[in-house]
Amino acid sequence: MKVIEFDIRGQICPSTLLTALKEINEYSDQLVDGTVRLAFRTDNRDAVGTIPESATNMGYSVTVTRGDGYYLIEIDGLEP
Amino acid sequence: MGTKEKKISPDGAGKKTILGNPAKNLPAAEEYERLAREHTELSGKYATAVRYIRDKIDQLLTVMGTSALKPEELDDKTLIETDPIGIISSSFVQILKHLHKTNAALKMKNREIKAIFDSAGTGVLVIDRDMKILEYNTRLREQFFPDKVDINGLPCHALICNLKDPLSACPFRKVFETGESVHMKGWVLHNRHYDIVGTPLKDNVGEVTGAVILYMDITDHVRTEAALRQSEEKYRDLFENANDLIQSIGPDGSILYVNQAWLETLEYSREEVPDISIFDIIHPDCDECGADFKSVVFGERAGRVETVFITKTGKRILVEGNISTVFDSGRLIGTRGIFRDITERKKAEEVLASEREQLAVTLRCIGDGVITTDTAGNIVLMNKVSEALTGWSQGEARGRPISEVFRLVSEDSGAARENPVDVTLKTGRIMNIPDRTVLVSRTGVSRIIADSVAPIIDRTSNIIGTVLVFRDITEKRYIEEKLLQSGKIESLGILAGGIAHDFNNLLNAIMGNIDLALAELDGRDQLYETLTRAEKAALRAKDLTQQLLTFSKGGAPIKKTASITELIRESSDFAVRGSNAQCIFNLPEDLWKVEIDMGQMSQVINNIVLNAVSAMPDGGQIVISAVNMLLEQDRPELKQGRYVKIAIQDTGTGIPKEHLGRIFEPYFTTKHTGSGLGLATTYSIIQRHDGLIEVESEVGKGTTFFLYLPAAPGDRAPEEQSSEPRAPVKGWGRVLLMDDNEMVSYAAGEMLKRIGYDVVIAAEGNEALTAYKTANESGRRFDAVILDLTIPAGMGGKETMKKLLDYDPEVKAIVSSGYSSDAMMANYREYGFSGVLTKPYQMKDLREVLHQIISGEK
Repeated sequence: MKVIEFDIRGQICPSTLLTALKEINEYSDQLVDGTVRLAFRTDNRDAVGTIPESATNMGYSVTVTRGDGYYLIEIDGLEP
Repeated sequence: MGTKEKKISPDGAGKKTILGNPAKNLPAAEEYERLAREHTELSGKYATAVRYIRDKIDQLLTVMGTSALKPEELDDKTLIETDPIGIISSSFVQILKHLHKTNAALKMKNREIKAIFDSAGTGVLVIDRDMKILEYNTRLREQFFPDKVDINGLPCHALICNLKDPLSACPFRKVFETGESVHMKGWVLHNRHYDIVGTPLKDNVGEVTGAVILYMDITDHVRTEAALRQSEEKYRDLFENANDLIQSIGPDGSILYVNQAWLETLEYSREEVPDISIFDIIHPDCDECGADFKSVVFGERAGRVETVFITKTGKRILVEGNISTVFDSGRLIGTRGIFRDITERKKAEEVLASEREQLAVTLRCIGDGVITTDTAGNIVLMNKVSEALTGWSQGEARGRPISEVFRLVSEDSGAARENPVDVTLKTGRIMNIPDRTVLVSRTGVSRIIADSVAPIIDRTSNIIGTVLVFRDITEKRYIEEKLLQSGKIESLGILAGGIAHDFNNLLNAIMGNIDLALAELDGRDQLYETLTRAEKAALRAKDLTQQLLTFSKGGAPIKKTASITELIRESSDFAVRGSNAQCIFNLPEDLWKVEIDMGQMSQVINNIVLNAVSAMPDGGQIVISAVNMLLEQDRPELKQGRYVKIAIQDTGTGIPKEHLGRIFEPYFTTKHTGSGLGLATTYSIIQRHDGLIEVESEVGKGTTFFLYLPAAPGDRAPEEQSSEPRAPVKGWGRVLLMDDNEMVSYAAGEMLKRIGYDVVIAAEGNEALTAYKTANESGRRFDAVILDLTIPAGMGGKETMKKLLDYDPEVKAIVSSGYSSDAMMANYREYGFSGVLTKPYQMKDLREVLHQIISGEK
């Protein structure tokens, strides 16, 4: 599986969300067939709420882990 | 945004509309002016459009849960290029797709849940806080209101519990109050039993908005439990009250449980059971019992066992029963055994077996043949006698048809007879074997049989077989035939007796007349010789009639004291006459006198010598010897005393050993012409003389008969037989002669006159009495009276004598008869007679007896 990482640190909402949505839309087919995982590195706290919720509503599986000074939001596949 | 920038251009269509106007026809100022106005107009429209876009973007971003775009964050141009609406709408497409998918899944789940809800075996009820029904499943409707169509909105307590005050009485109110589940067990609703669970339904904030109540119908379970309890009680009752011993034993021999009968029989209390093991109750003498138990425990065997238990006090209990092994999940957990105390039954069986054995032995020993058959007529049992008579052993005959083993034919025709067993099986009646039936044995031996077949009937009156009892009557038949023959002989004997009597009378007349004629003649006269021969022939005839009488009646001997020497000589010579045999006598002169009936003893000698003669067809010597013997206790069969022992020895063929014991039996003979009576008569005569006859014989060497005769008391010296002078010695006196036979009375009268007596003749008793009385009264008393014993048509000698004695006790009378075997002749003195005259008598006999009684010699 290919992991495409986007560093969107410095951005704030709603820019972070729009950026993430744009990429999710872009890779939706690969996400659905499981060949790609998108990883967003953000330092915007709000994004930890908005991105996972939107991705989840779209049916994707989301995990959020906290890094040093950032959050890593990983989106892949469809929910089982 | 870190993505490559894209220029967002205004709407192409609008631009075309604006730029497409024909401006080439306008002047430049006007044109500029027009363009400025147009620009201002367009800028205003553009700003309005951007504002609109920003509003919509913000609206969408808010829906997406994020904050609105700030103008400084994204200028208009970038905004247009970035196209957030496009981004968000693409996301919405995905969201909607996902929602559709989720909705479809939820609908499916909903259907599934509904199906589960309705198909659940448990009634499910959903109520709100007011206890109103929100939802219920099919099962619940079936349980409580099968006929109601729609009950939503109705209070549950009105439909289900019928509680008056549901808010306080309903236990499930607690669900609302506490927010926790409530479990109620064993509620009875509508005659059925329920376990009920109430679970709270909470909203998003944890408020209890309703409750789900589950009604689990446990009626069947309750009833099953009750039935099980009842059944258990029943089995416990059976278990405890059973007469059989019931036990459960662990693999280590420990006793798991036992019933009351077990405790009572083995004399343990229930408290003692945990302290004992199976090895305490297996009798130590029963070597195989412990091993048997182990083999059961190890699953090597099970089923019926017979063993010996020992009670607490050491009593032996014989038990039989069944042991089975008990497994739990494949693991042996013990054995179960049910036993019955068969001590008493065993005793009874032993008694029965003993009786059966006795019966079998008795049956085997019965003198009659016994065969039993089944209802098909096949042999079941045979005793020894039947084995011997049929020639079949029981083993060979068992199961064979009776007609094969028990073959019957007619004695007369030889035709097969219907088997009586078959008849009994058909009719159920007792059948006698027909007369004159012969059983033909396996080896072809025929025996005459008799007896019967009877049905064997069980308690319920069903025929379960037959018993055939039969006996061999061949010997009996032979004896019966002999008895018949004997009867004929007896009749013949009576006839012979009568003939002999008449013969004796006739001979008396013949011999008397010859005697008289001889007395008239000179001894040298030719006629004298002739008459002497006639007299001898008459004497032979007398002997013959004597034999005839002895044979016919075998009567009591008329014993006289006499020397036997001459009798032996005469009888022997007479017997050998006309044969090649010769008698050699060895008779001492001092032989003691014996008390014998001369006629009978003559017959004895005659018979034995005749046997000797026939044993020596080619002739030979018969040695006849006699000795005096004094017997002490050496012959227990004889009284002690003096005896004359006579031996008659031949050198003939001898008698085979197997015949030796039977030669004195009546009708036993090996001669073709013999009557079988000769030696039997001899034996009988010797016995009546208190003597003994014995025989020694060796085949091929000869036979010796020994006779022991008691010697007469008194004089031991042999009495010289005086030869009577033929010439009469004159007597004197008066004689009354009574005889109904004229020929006899005439000859006797003449003889009496010849020897000097006066004679008066009477034909029967009354006449004789009258004559005697008349003579007595007239002073001419009779010196002697001769009375014939048998007067067929008048008073005979016995009665006449009685009356004579009544009249004159001094009367001297002589009894005379041709029935020499009559007891009165033998014991004449007992009847008052003084002498006896056996017909036929001669003059010398008359002279002698009259002389004796008149002159008082006797």
